[in-house]
Amino acid sequence: MLLHRVQRRAFLKTAPALALLAACSKSTTLKLALNWKPEPEFGGFYAATFSKHGLAVDILPGGSGTPTVQMIGAGSVDFGIVSADEIILARSHGNDVVALFAVFQDSPTGIMAHASRNLTSIGDVLMDGTLALESGLPFARLLKRKFGFSHVKIVPSPGGDITSFLHDEKFAQQCYLTSEPIAARRKGASVKVFAVSEIGYDPYTTVLAVSGESLRKNPDRAKAMAAAVREGWQSYLADPKPVNQQMHQLNPTMDLDTFAEVAEVQSPFIETDATRRNGLGTMSRERWETLIAQFKELGDISQTIPADECFQVL
Amino acid sequence: MKKTLLAPLIPFVLLTLIAEFLVRAGFVRAYLVPAPSAVLRAMIDSHAELLQALFATSVGSLAGFVMSALTGIAIAVLLSSSRGVQRAFYPYAIFFQTVPLIAVAPLLVIWFGFGIQTVIASAFVASVFPVIANTLSGILSTDPPLRDLFKLYGASPLVTLFKLRLPAALPQVFTGLRVSAGLAVIGAIVGEFIAGGGLGSVVETARTQQRIDKVFAAVLLASVLGLALFGLINLLSHLTLRRWHASEQ
Amino acid sequence: MFDNNRVVIAGMDLGVDAGEFLAVLGPSGCGKSTLLRMIARLSEPDSGQIRIEPNGERFETAFVFQDAHLLPWRNVLANAALPLELMGVAKPQRNEKARAVLDQVGLLDALDRYPAELSGGMRMRVSLARALVTEPRLLLLDEPFAALDEITRFHLDVQLRELWQRRGMTVIFVTHSVSEAAFLANRAVVLARHGGAIKLDRRLELPPVRDIELRGDPRLGQEMRLLLGAIEG
Repeated sequence: MLLHRVQRRAFLKTAPALALLAACSKSTTLKLALNWKPEPEFGGFYAATFSKHGLAVDILPGGSGTPTVQMIGAGSVDFGIVSADEIILARSHGNDVVALFAVFQDSPTGIMAHASRNLTSIGDVLMDGTLALESGLPFARLLKRKFGFSHVKIVPSPGGDITSFLHDEKFAQQCYLTSEPIAARRKGASVKVFAVSEIGYDPYTTVLAVSGESLRKNPDRAKAMAAAVREGWQSYLADPKPVNQQMHQLNPTMDLDTFAEVAEVQSPFIETDATRRNGLGTMSRERWETLIAQFKELGDISQTIPADECFQVL
Repeated sequence: MKKTLLAPLIPFVLLTLIAEFLVRAGFVRAYLVPAPSAVLRAMIDSHAELLQALFATSVGSLAGFVMSALTGIAIAVLLSSSRGVQRAFYPYAIFFQTVPLIAVAPLLVIWFGFGIQTVIASAFVASVFPVIANTLSGILSTDPPLRDLFKLYGASPLVTLFKLRLPAALPQVFTGLRVSAGLAVIGAIVGEFIAGGGLGSVVETARTQQRIDKVFAAVLLASVLGLALFGLINLLSHLTLRRWHASEQ
Repeated sequence: MFDNNRVVIAGMDLGVDAGEFLAVLGPSGCGKSTLLRMIARLSEPDSGQIRIEPNGERFETAFVFQDAHLLPWRNVLANAALPLELMGVAKPQRNEKARAVLDQVGLLDALDRYPAELSGGMRMRVSLARALVTEPRLLLLDEPFAALDEITRFHLDVQLRELWQRRGMTVIFVTHSVSEAAFLANRAVVLARHGGAIKLDRRLELPPVRDIELRGDPRLGQEMRLLLGAIEG
């Protein structure tokens, strides 16, 4: 029932918006900045038919360290892909960024270790050996708080590179559950993965975000964008092959087999009970409040921020 | 002496005041460029962490720099021995100059592991070439009449190298060292991005925490380190060359 | 003798007697510097030979360049002592000899100074002292005073002549200056513009004592005219 209402409302609002946009026409090409190279995690964006919603969108691939949340704030791009934790930090610093669509309902961040170590929980990884982490990230600090780093050697995250992992049995690293483990298995390694959500930390990931200012000035445009993206993801989830082909051309470092495998592994993160009820990309106040509370506890933000300001489901 | 210290301080103070005003008044957003007062506060709040990081980076860059100086001069001396040697090996020296450090650093980690040894290796790779190039140039550009003089009195090539060509090359050696010093700091920090530790790791962590004030604080300290090294070389150069070289008068 | 495939000196026959003060003149590019370098064994002739008799140690030849070319990181004393140092003479001995020769050129109170602190004329005198420290039998000079002002140049000319008379060495002095050649030498040779042919070889008819008085002597002017005529003709 809820789904019906949402859909109809969306249609009623898009019709005049379409007309308006058609009138203003393709004078402005919108920029959407990704925070990594074209990979299955962005499949729905490449699958989207923006023109159908009266938009012309230029997708800008990113890489290691692309500062998408700052780019949105600075106005150098119209939309960007960030994660929920980045949004909370940004907002606490006065950068008015708002989430519109959460591709990954659950965080695919995790830790990958060699299966031969017979580890049973995420805490075990911290008992021995080396762990490559981005120590600034909230989940890293949560791990430190919970388990302490006194028995493990912490080194910087190699950003997707698994060479050190393959060379050293006692080497574990932060990873995207949809990415590095697959690459490692292909190279013959036997891996065990632990999702970060195991310790209760589960931010929305691969989140489409926009600046608050732009959202207030142009709500219809943001709505059209969200709608286009939702459709794109529906299309991609139904059949990822053609878009995988397209993304492979843009990012030849990943072969088509891997594209297919990753697309499959990532689906349960994208399509969940919540999205089946409320539509792809949905977000809830509760999830945001939990995350904000975790940040407050970590001391990363000095004051709680209202969850409602962080996101808008259009 | 007062003038040399005072003069550069004036633009620094002016710039700091202007930056502070721009951020406070909202012309520049604080999460893009931090106000100088915020950077100062970050420095004070995290002073223990920053000082320890500064020490680690200093060790890494200094060690890398000293290696560059010694190896660079030695390589230049070897290259100067014959035209053929130069033609065969100089292109490989140029490789150190042109290789993108950020691409090589991960390789260094694979070879040397995570730790300060990789930071030193990175600092070395970044800073060795200017020493080689400048020293070689200095050795090869010895005054021909002086070389004739040594030849006239039967000095062997080795004697000519140590008593004439190397001392004559000293001003250029110092020029190379001056350039190399700053590069060693950069190299160390790039190494730290990948291998951990020092100011590089502070920058990396602060960046992921969106603590741009802390990033600036760390970067500022790195610049101070580079300046300090540069100043040290200048002092050495002055003490060594002051009686005889126009550049020091 | 070839230089960049250009014939610099083709077939020169020149004999120089011991104890002579020979001036070599000629327009730029005529090969006089090349000649001097060949005599010093700094360059080898492509054909023919240069014989010095009696055939002693090569260190018996000394060379003074157009600029002083001192080692800037050494003081005056160490610079003057350099040839002896390269020959392996021990420090106390070579410093003593250097001191002596620096005294002869009037630089005894500048021993600790560095070249950067000296005037052009003083630097030249150190260069001269350096050349004389090995007590050479043959002294070669390649336009040594050309870069100095006239007064300093004259003083050094006088000093050089005196040193020559005292030591009895053979001097070959390359110069552009007709007046300097006439003033200093007892024999002058003028080379042709190209190829090193000798256009004039003349024993100068001038008194053995050369001092400021000679400047006013008409004989000086006569010799100068002759030399100039040979250069231009």
